[in-house]
Amino acid sequence: MSSEEQRRQFELYKKNVARRGKPFYPYAMFHDTVMSLVVVSVIVGLASLWYFTAGEEPGDSGVLGPRYADESDPGTISFTPRPDWYFYFLFYLLRIFKWPESVFLATVGIPTILLIILLLVPFFDRRRERRLARRPVAVVAALLVVASMGVLTYKGATAKESIASENLAKVPEWQATQNLPQDALPGARIFASLTCLNCHSYLGTGGGFAGAPDLSAEGSKGRGIDWQIGHLKDPPAYTPNSPMPSFAGLTDQQLRQLAVFLEASKGPKGGG
Amino acid sequence: MARQRKSKRQQQLQALIMAPIDWLEERSGLVGAVKYFLFRRVPAETNWFHTLGSATLTAFLVQLVTGVILAMYYKPDPESAYSSIQTITNDLTLGWLVRGMHRWGASVFIILLFLHMGRVFLFGAYKYPRELNWLIGVILLTLALAEGLTGYLLPWDQTAYWATVVAININANAPIAGPFLGDFLRGGAEIGGDTLARFYSLHMLVIPGGLIGLITLHLYLVIRLGVTEPPWTRAAAGYEFVEDGRGPVRKGLVEPRPRGNGSIGTPVREEVRP
Amino acid sequence: MADELERPGEEPVEPEAEPHLPSPTIWPFAFAGGVALLLVGLIINWILAAIGAVLVLVFGFLWIREATREVRRVPAPVPAEPAVSELAVVEEEEEPERYPRSVFLEMSTLGVGALIGGIVTVPALGFMIAPAFVDQEYGEVDLGPLANFPQNEWVTATFQSNRAEPGNVSKRTAFIRNNGVADGVPSMTIISNRCAHMGCPTQPGGLLQKPNEVQTDSGTVTLRVTQGLSGFTCPCHGGAYDNEGNRTAGPPVRALDRYEFLIREGNLVLGKPYSVGKVIGEGANAKIEAYRLADPGQHVDGPEKVFYPPKFWIP
Repeated sequence: MSSEEQRRQFELYKKNVARRGKPFYPYAMFHDTVMSLVVVSVIVGLASLWYFTAGEEPGDSGVLGPRYADESDPGTISFTPRPDWYFYFLFYLLRIFKWPESVFLATVGIPTILLIILLLVPFFDRRRERRLARRPVAVVAALLVVASMGVLTYKGATAKESIASENLAKVPEWQATQNLPQDALPGARIFASLTCLNCHSYLGTGGGFAGAPDLSAEGSKGRGIDWQIGHLKDPPAYTPNSPMPSFAGLTDQQLRQLAVFLEASKGPKGGG
Repeated sequence: MARQRKSKRQQQLQALIMAPIDWLEERSGLVGAVKYFLFRRVPAETNWFHTLGSATLTAFLVQLVTGVILAMYYKPDPESAYSSIQTITNDLTLGWLVRGMHRWGASVFIILLFLHMGRVFLFGAYKYPRELNWLIGVILLTLALAEGLTGYLLPWDQTAYWATVVAININANAPIAGPFLGDFLRGGAEIGGDTLARFYSLHMLVIPGGLIGLITLHLYLVIRLGVTEPPWTRAAAGYEFVEDGRGPVRKGLVEPRPRGNGSIGTPVREEVRP
Repeated sequence: MADELERPGEEPVEPEAEPHLPSPTIWPFAFAGGVALLLVGLIINWILAAIGAVLVLVFGFLWIREATREVRRVPAPVPAEPAVSELAVVEEEEEPERYPRSVFLEMSTLGVGALIGGIVTVPALGFMIAPAFVDQEYGEVDLGPLANFPQNEWVTATFQSNRAEPGNVSKRTAFIRNNGVADGVPSMTIISNRCAHMGCPTQPGGLLQKPNEVQTDSGTVTLRVTQGLSGFTCPCHGGAYDNEGNRTAGPPVRALDRYEFLIREGNLVLGKPYSVGKVIGEGANAKIEAYRLADPGQHVDGPEKVFYPPKFWIP
């Protein structure tokens, strides 16, 4: 479209507005003022909801999260870093690209390319057409971007991993849900304190990384105590190409307790 | 509507009230500028979608005001940052409200920004002659996200510290410039007090300065280039409204001008309202 | 200044139609310089004062001579600028202008402006950038008696890597195993807990026993024996490592960083950290491919390492 044509169309726009347009004040400004009132009320409302439902202690969470987290501890070994929610899509990208050669795609590659495309939108699309029905590329692109960012943000928000110190507190829950016998409890505590749940998942807790299977119903696979102990000592011998490390450093008693726990985990009672 | 002729006394009173405004106008032209801004014409079909931009601006102003107030009590030092936030939240009068508004205002600001950007995109309001405004808008988006990132570190709690570790390492992952960029952002080889001070300076001075400057330019362009009509209107389709000589409100439509720009199958039809 | 003087017997000087401007000469400035030098020399050094006195006399004489030209009716030497007259105008039009005044002013304004800008910004930029790259050494950390690290046991140690930093800022954690003595030299495996992907804190795959706090020269060190350790995992994005720090799964781009160490008077002392490409072998027999310390996410070996220049500013 030639720039002469563009200028003529813009002159047309200005003529239309001059003839039929309404003064900004009070027509459009009224809308703006109402909307601004809504925005400020929402901000105040969120702030109040956050403050009054959260407790005074760090980490004491209300409807909108705690008032503050614990003080920073750079030497911690039990914390899961998370960015602010509007960066969840980037956080989840880092989880998707789990091959070392591809890390730069998630960190700088994809975000930079998307930003450049966003910047250059008016230069990709020089058509005068603004009606949505006649801009299929634009509409589809917008829908795809919204959908993908929404899905990535949601997955980032619900991403799970496990912190050993928090898992121990879940053992009574597991016992109740799985109907675990008494002699499975020591193994359950060992299971919670090790980093098993960083890769495996169990009753909704845990990372699900590295292709590690869910262990909630491990006992119903009929593998037996000896298989479990042997597997813990040398995983690749029992599951070829397993990236699971060997737990031969544990004592025999601990291995046996773990095996008992795993064999007793037959899935949530009532089926699951 | 016809106004009654003002009495002499009313005229004198009006002149008295208008005197300071006229004084200002003669010496600066500002009053005329404000009047131009207020009474300029916007398309008749301007609707609620167009409020997203000013809503974003309102959220930003909330952030500015609450941020300035918070800065009066916050201490940007690793040893006192966390406790100063605790003091603000628990001890100071309405400190919880200002801090809460600032923290949730940030989220609202980002959400409105994305909605505004989506609205502009779908309305095609980035096309000629508004391309420059779109570019400024994308830069504003980047600055707003950077503002959120730098602000996130300031409470110096676990979430703040570790999120920043990862964020800086993401930047350090850039090819060639990565190692320099990482150490520059951190203010050294490890995150420390220098990092907090650096992020504080960025969050308080550099990025807000950029935001304010670019928002001013953004608004100036909106006023100069006009508000875009929604894309479902006749005007957006390229129709021209003409007087058809049958009275002050009568309007007719002329067929859209042939554009030769590849638009798909626009029916050409002359439509004249009775 | 002497134009209104009337000498007796002579005709009064006509008041000039235009204001009298002194001719552009350097004598007043040199005179002033001489006065200043004279006064300074009186305080500091009499030789300077003598030079100053000479300057004062010489340039004062020259100045007075110049300024009284009109009274003495001596014609001024031809001024450097052409006098405004029809002849001069015609001459100017014929000659090409080589250094017209306005161009000189433009260039000098831009030049001086750039100079001022440089004088202000370069030091400021230097101040902003340089301190991040200067004096970035890692000091030693005393972790206490070697007896606290039983042979072939893993100990998770949390310490302050830099006492000069305030508060908690320099707290770090390392996983340490005493491998005994190999070839007459003590061998320790000391692995940093910062993941090599994006720097998140990794967790040890073992059972942490009760903490033991030890006071050393480097502050309080917290030691926790970690029983049955098998590997380290990172909760952020699923990175996993084996007992030597090699990556076994997930996005980490290299092995976990390690610390140099030395045994001084029976105490384990940590040196500076370094990055590791991979480790072949185990424990005391491990061969470590060591590189200069790099940020998490930066490749140190393989084809991608060309993208990440080593951080040469860290000693």
